[in-house]
Amino acid sequence: MEVTIDPLFLAWSYFRRRKLQQCADICTKILQDNPYDQDCSLPISEAAWSLKTRALTEMVYIDEVEVDQEGIAEMMLDESSIAQVTPWNKPGWRTQPVTQSGRPITGFVRPSTQSGRPGTMEQAIKTPRTASTARPVTSASGRFIRLGTASMLTNPDGPFINLSRLNLAKYSQKPNLSRTLFEYIFHHENDVKNALDLAAQATEHAQFKDWWWKVQLGKCYYRLGLYREAEKQFRSALNHQEIVDTYLYLAKVYQRLDQPITALNLFKQGLDHFPGEVTLLTGIARIHEEMNNISSATEYYRDVLKQDNTHVEAIACIGSNHFYTDQPEIALRFYRRLLQMGVYNCQLYNNLGLCCFYAQQYDMTLSSFERALALSTSDEEQADVWYNIGHVAVGIADLTLAYQCFKLALAFNNDHAEAYNNLAVLELRKGRVEQSKAFLQTAASLASHMYEPHFNLSILSEKIGDLQSSYTAAQKAEDAFPEHVDTQQLLKQLRVHFAAI
Amino acid sequence: MPEVKTVFREVLPKKGQLSIEDVPTMILCKPKLLPLKSVTLEKLEKMQMEAQEAVRQQELATKEQLQ
Repeated sequence: MEVTIDPLFLAWSYFRRRKLQQCADICTKILQDNPYDQDCSLPISEAAWSLKTRALTEMVYIDEVEVDQEGIAEMMLDESSIAQVTPWNKPGWRTQPVTQSGRPITGFVRPSTQSGRPGTMEQAIKTPRTASTARPVTSASGRFIRLGTASMLTNPDGPFINLSRLNLAKYSQKPNLSRTLFEYIFHHENDVKNALDLAAQATEHAQFKDWWWKVQLGKCYYRLGLYREAEKQFRSALNHQEIVDTYLYLAKVYQRLDQPITALNLFKQGLDHFPGEVTLLTGIARIHEEMNNISSATEYYRDVLKQDNTHVEAIACIGSNHFYTDQPEIALRFYRRLLQMGVYNCQLYNNLGLCCFYAQQYDMTLSSFERALALSTSDEEQADVWYNIGHVAVGIADLTLAYQCFKLALAFNNDHAEAYNNLAVLELRKGRVEQSKAFLQTAASLASHMYEPHFNLSILSEKIGDLQSSYTAAQKAEDAFPEHVDTQQLLKQLRVHFAAI
Repeated sequence: MPEVKTVFREVLPKKGQLSIEDVPTMILCKPKLLPLKSVTLEKLEKMQMEAQEAVRQQELATKEQLQ
């Protein structure tokens, strides 16, 4: 005798095993047999409907705490104190490469740290695609465009739930359906206004006593840019029930309101209730990192590792910090740890290769880079790996190989300013002054936030006797990195020259 | 076969001034550690790519229907 599983049970089982598409398909079939009606319907179709909304939501679910996309206008008009932190308030960090905004590149990238802040409007529009910004410019101009990807695709059978025909008031009375429906509207349809309507009616139905609905209201307000309203909801939710997530959302609001210190205090309050909570500690570390206070950020990342020794973000950040403070062998241990944990991608192998080389473990260097190249998924990554191999070649004094590597980096990413600069240095060694100068000018125009091309251009111009250009270039280098000693000396020398004339 | 004996001797100047002039040289940009991507970012990128792919498929399908 053949035993068949009850379809709803099977769908539920698929859902738990995260085979979401199969789950949704079975639910669709059940719903075809027992149509779902808002007014009167069988419990089975209600269950199938709810399960399908959950499956569809899970497919596109993104942790809301992590998501923070800013539009161009917000980035440009941002005068918050985190944005105002001048990058050079910490001495000596300039050994570290910087993002477009002149902020040091950290060991980890999240949606909100993707691009840093561009300095000028022009830069904001033209700099979208470098190694650390995978975000195309079109999505930077509006908020949360990417998150609605599921809703932008047209389904051949029409949408699963037609929001405009939904009677939200009725759903808000049914606590067993309203929550899944809310998440579906918020995450899958990306329709914040309707989600807000539903949440408002539901919280009213719950007599303003349900913390969950208050958090959801706060999330909606946050997305709509009503930060003070969001703050009120989150605070009120915390009064009902202490939940880690609420602390995280509230801290996000304060960061957006330009109150990093309040956010820090809030995290510490949260830690009183939830001692050693990893996400709260990470939040503190991130704020310190954004304020360019790398040493205390590292302290907190270490605390994170004491609680959770497989925390990728903490390991990566501490590792990169060690690398750029001249301790590549310690950085190597951190990255090796990541490898042991099963992280397997282009970035990690690239970092391992660099650490191995600078920690004098030459046997592993090239094989790591080979793997990095094999694992790279985009041209930008490929370009960065070739750029780093170029450094290894310079290190072993194989200048021909170095030249080829930097050329390859440019072949993959024609806007790689660092590669242009390094090529210029090599060209000058070959005695090709004009070519070198052209490369330096390209580098300087591509990345005016870097001081190297300006400084090199200044030296080159001084050598060929063009003191005026040398002086202007040196001034630009000084703007980018005021404490650079060689620039200072060069400027002094030039001033003496000019005074003599 | 005559044995070639080459004896290298280090030269250490005992007299005179040993000095190096500090000439500014051109500098290379630093090597670049690549930041690892967070799970959320990876998922976002994957979703974006899948959505783009799906849109392209749909467009292709409608084009074929029109022809």
